[in-house]
Amino acid sequence: MAKVIDEAKKHGHGHEGEHPPAPMVEEVSDFEVLEMAVRELAIDKGLFTAEDHRRWTEYVHSLGPLPAARLVAKAWLDPEFRKLAVKDGVKASLKVGVDWIKSPPTQFGTPSDYCNLRVLEDTPKLKHVVVCTLCSCYPRPILGQSPEWYRTPAYRRRLVRWPRQVLSEFGLQIPPDVEIRVADSNQKTRYMVLPMRPAGTEGWSEEQLAEIVTRDCMIGVAVPKPGVTSNVKLPVHRAVHPVHHHP
Amino acid sequence: MATLEKADLAPIGVLEGIRRRGRPWEDLAAQYGVKNPDPPWKVTLDATCDILAAESCASAEGEAEAAGSVLPVLERRAEEDELSSTLYAGVPFPERQLLALAHSMIRRGLFDEEELARRMKEVQERLTSA
Repeated sequence: MAKVIDEAKKHGHGHEGEHPPAPMVEEVSDFEVLEMAVRELAIDKGLFTAEDHRRWTEYVHSLGPLPAARLVAKAWLDPEFRKLAVKDGVKASLKVGVDWIKSPPTQFGTPSDYCNLRVLEDTPKLKHVVVCTLCSCYPRPILGQSPEWYRTPAYRRRLVRWPRQVLSEFGLQIPPDVEIRVADSNQKTRYMVLPMRPAGTEGWSEEQLAEIVTRDCMIGVAVPKPGVTSNVKLPVHRAVHPVHHHP
Repeated sequence: MATLEKADLAPIGVLEGIRRRGRPWEDLAAQYGVKNPDPPWKVTLDATCDILAAESCASAEGEAEAAGSVLPVLERRAEEDELSSTLYAGVPFPERQLLALAHSMIRRGLFDEEELARRMKEVQERLTSA
């Protein structure tokens, strides 16, 4: 490592006073080794090719919540686009660069993100929130990878039973006169929430608006607020005394 | 839904070793002052899960051929849920997702425990040889 730094200095890339190199983990973990071993064995066994895997990795790496945030911001600014988003989420996604069918390496969607997006529009009297009670279906092509808590049985089971309480645990208090509608994702249909535009954002650009439309706002466990651009950090608690359910 | 039988949820030696001694990303990141919330291998793990669920795979000649999913999403996730609340309950995410995937693949006979142990040794030597 010291040798590399010396070489960088010699070539004028290591000036004093510049940003220090970002810290990195300098040990190989058993989990890192396991991931590679599983992948290599799968390739050896002919389950997929190294080239297939590279293409999928590139695709997964490209996913994130920004396209969905832009879709929401556009819908806030353009009533016609808003109508399109609610009527045909897949078509509206094209306007923010997401092709549900052709973007994935398969060229016909992905096995875990079926090509049907529904955009659920919140109103002053209706709040939507998204879950997948069966596993962790999520609109990944437009919203990226799901957060850990979204995958947990605690969120999945409890949200459909006690949505108001679960939302309050995220810090979101919904008035009693507002209906909460829980959308249960499935293999055929994915959902995202189109939250209401908050007060105090008059005259904002699409980029400014997109910054406050966080992932959590589009799952429905938060609402956009001027100045808030990050998601709530929720610790995932394990059950200490789990109740065993019998069929 | 076809999920693993009770017996299939029994511990697997090579994975038990990793569960016991493996250092999860949250520990490593804290020790080395790294801010990235996810380990670098998470994206390749997700790609592996996706591609195993695909309903057709490229043949050696590069032609798409019809084939069933090697490991359908619903089965993998159901097994991950089960294993995450039992064998790998003490393991953080996404490490437990990885252990559950390896567990499901071994129990399906996609590779065996000895092959995995051997390959891990090779990978370990390769990564630490420089």
